[in-house]
Amino acid sequence: MIHAAGFFPYGIVGGSTNLEEANAHLQAWACSHARSSLARALEGKLDFLDGLIIPHTCDTMRMLLDLWEHVHSLPYMENYRLPRQANRASAGKYLLGELKRIKKGLEQYRGAPIENKALMDSIKLYNHNRQMLRKLTDLHANYPHLISSRRLYTVINASMVMPREEVSRLLEALLGHLEQDLVDEAENDHVRLLLSGTLLEPFEVLDYIEEFGGTVIADDFQNGYHYIESDVNTELDPLEALVDRQLKRIPSAAFDIEQNPRRFFLTSLASEKKAAGAIFLHLTFCEPENFDSYDNLKAMQAEGLPAIRIETQFGGTGLGQIRTRIHAFMEMLGGESR
Amino acid sequence: MSAKNVFKTAELMKKIMKEYNEAGRKAKEEGRPVAWVTAVFPVEIIYAAGLFPYYPENFGAVAAARKVTHDLSTAAEAKGYARDLCGYARSGIGDAYSEEHPVGKILEPDLLFCCNTQCGSLPKWFEVAARFYNSPYFLLDSPRVGLETDRLCIDYFIEQLHEMITFIENQTGEPFDYDRLAEVLHLSNEACRLWNEILDSAALRPAPFGFFDACFHMAPIVTLRGTQEAVEYYRALKEEIEERIEKGITAIPEERHKIYFDHIPCWPKLRWFSELFASRGALVVASQYTHSWAYSFDLERPLESLAENYTHEFVNRCFEYRVKRKISFMKKYDVDGFVLFSNRSCKPNAFGLYAKSKLIREQTGLPGTVFEADMADLRLFSEDQVLAKLEPFFEQLN
Repeated sequence: MIHAAGFFPYGIVGGSTNLEEANAHLQAWACSHARSSLARALEGKLDFLDGLIIPHTCDTMRMLLDLWEHVHSLPYMENYRLPRQANRASAGKYLLGELKRIKKGLEQYRGAPIENKALMDSIKLYNHNRQMLRKLTDLHANYPHLISSRRLYTVINASMVMPREEVSRLLEALLGHLEQDLVDEAENDHVRLLLSGTLLEPFEVLDYIEEFGGTVIADDFQNGYHYIESDVNTELDPLEALVDRQLKRIPSAAFDIEQNPRRFFLTSLASEKKAAGAIFLHLTFCEPENFDSYDNLKAMQAEGLPAIRIETQFGGTGLGQIRTRIHAFMEMLGGESR
Repeated sequence: MSAKNVFKTAELMKKIMKEYNEAGRKAKEEGRPVAWVTAVFPVEIIYAAGLFPYYPENFGAVAAARKVTHDLSTAAEAKGYARDLCGYARSGIGDAYSEEHPVGKILEPDLLFCCNTQCGSLPKWFEVAARFYNSPYFLLDSPRVGLETDRLCIDYFIEQLHEMITFIENQTGEPFDYDRLAEVLHLSNEACRLWNEILDSAALRPAPFGFFDACFHMAPIVTLRGTQEAVEYYRALKEEIEERIEKGITAIPEERHKIYFDHIPCWPKLRWFSELFASRGALVVASQYTHSWAYSFDLERPLESLAENYTHEFVNRCFEYRVKRKISFMKKYDVDGFVLFSNRSCKPNAFGLYAKSKLIREQTGLPGTVFEADMADLRLFSEDQVLAKLEPFFEQLN
């Protein structure tokens, strides 16, 4: 919708390491994603923004927009109030209403309607982005030597802040080059890992995994596979199609579903991708993640899959400790240092 | 509320809360379903359906008041539930895993109902519990509401109430009784009306009743709202307050200042706070927390009315609405200052509090402060830190 309105969608994923000013407004026990994102705005590093939409995925996100507006107001600010249950008929009806409300707000700010044709064109472009990114992800999983984990996730994250037309063009070129270089790796000795969590951060984790002989072959991060996992159905009315995709997305801790299907999703993903182990990157103070964490670890153990949980923070230190833990875990899995 | 100033009605409360707890155990024995519910939940439907509503948050508050949250929490923390999660949730989850039950075992649910008007911690806690106790769970989803009445949210909630009633009918095998619902709503209205008249008495100078008294007397409005017992209890309490007004018995010996306090109290330190404020001649007179139970239902349109009341509760509202509401309480009770509690257990109430405090000071000219602590867990409470915020505040009052 943002793209179809002719605006430039820019995904904010934390980023500042200087949290002092943000801490004056948002308690230090708010997650570092919220604080470091706000810090970027306070430092003037997001001054190019005209507007901000915050999706309600947790209490912190539910409170953040109002606070942001108070300390660093932007011309267009909006809450995206996602339904927190996804398995009853009421959820779809409500979400359609919420998307219509947001569309109307965007149209008012823009001063012109968002036409269905434009919306469908944007949907197709985003679908193409995601299809290319999934291809790249598969290529990496099958040929880890071809493109490193760090590079793969850097590309996915770049796609959240670059012009989407450019993303499609560059990805096609990249895939073309990589496919030319394809050679069957007789000795693919990487230890295959599943990573899970709210957000992939810090990216150094990927370096450490590769340093000690591993590679990431699957994940469910919001700035990873969760961002690219599925496409919008282009056969439906565009708004209804957006609802359809949202409600069918892979499980996440933000949605309240009693049996925590995410744990089974993760174990079956691990088995499908032949993972040798799993690392949960737990963003400190991430409540939805914490409430599911014990069950997720237990589900992995029940499948006989070694798993560890590592606490992470945006802008935080502790890289040395993270490296040590990954080293020990990789050694246990038989990884060979490179 | 000093020891010699105890309300006679307190005995009645002990009695009806004891009976309520016994009724829960009896329901279990007789196979009547025990339904977990959250504090801001249309419990009227649960009462009307003949289920026994149980409040795990109440369990959390009792554990906190008895200063055992950290003992229960240890069992939850051992499983990886972090100390920064809600203290009530940690108490409940801890009790599930713990061998020790310092406040008695939590009443195990046959069904779980949660409304997320208050926060996102409750649904996650209830999900964990639904898995642990292997019981069906129903979430009433209540998206955040802004400054104005939000039709989209009300319609969504009404549709979910229909879904919930179907869910209950499927569980009990009995058709839902709307006549019974009307009776329960009437009783709820009565209890809420009496409760708010009682709270209003804090505006008198000097007042017979304050916030710390309200914290003590609020259990029935939370748990028994919708029953005759709650109505009778608040009728008795109101009579006693009127008696006190006549006799000139006041909440604190020398009331020199009236204070607004948000939000929930520090349960394990309730007496410490009440004595501290009283010793400074300051009576805490109002809080959004105790004023939450101010529902008014239209019996002609029960579900619509339930949806309007429960979705538009202050805790689910935007920053601006909440600042306005705080200021309107401050004006109504004519306070001399305000104290805001940044509660580690409660992100929806704590986040944004520093900005709100600044705004309220600017708009009202009143002195105010924000302190950091936890409503339940004494490991996250430091007397020195709290006093460092409160002492300068008390000085400003003089």
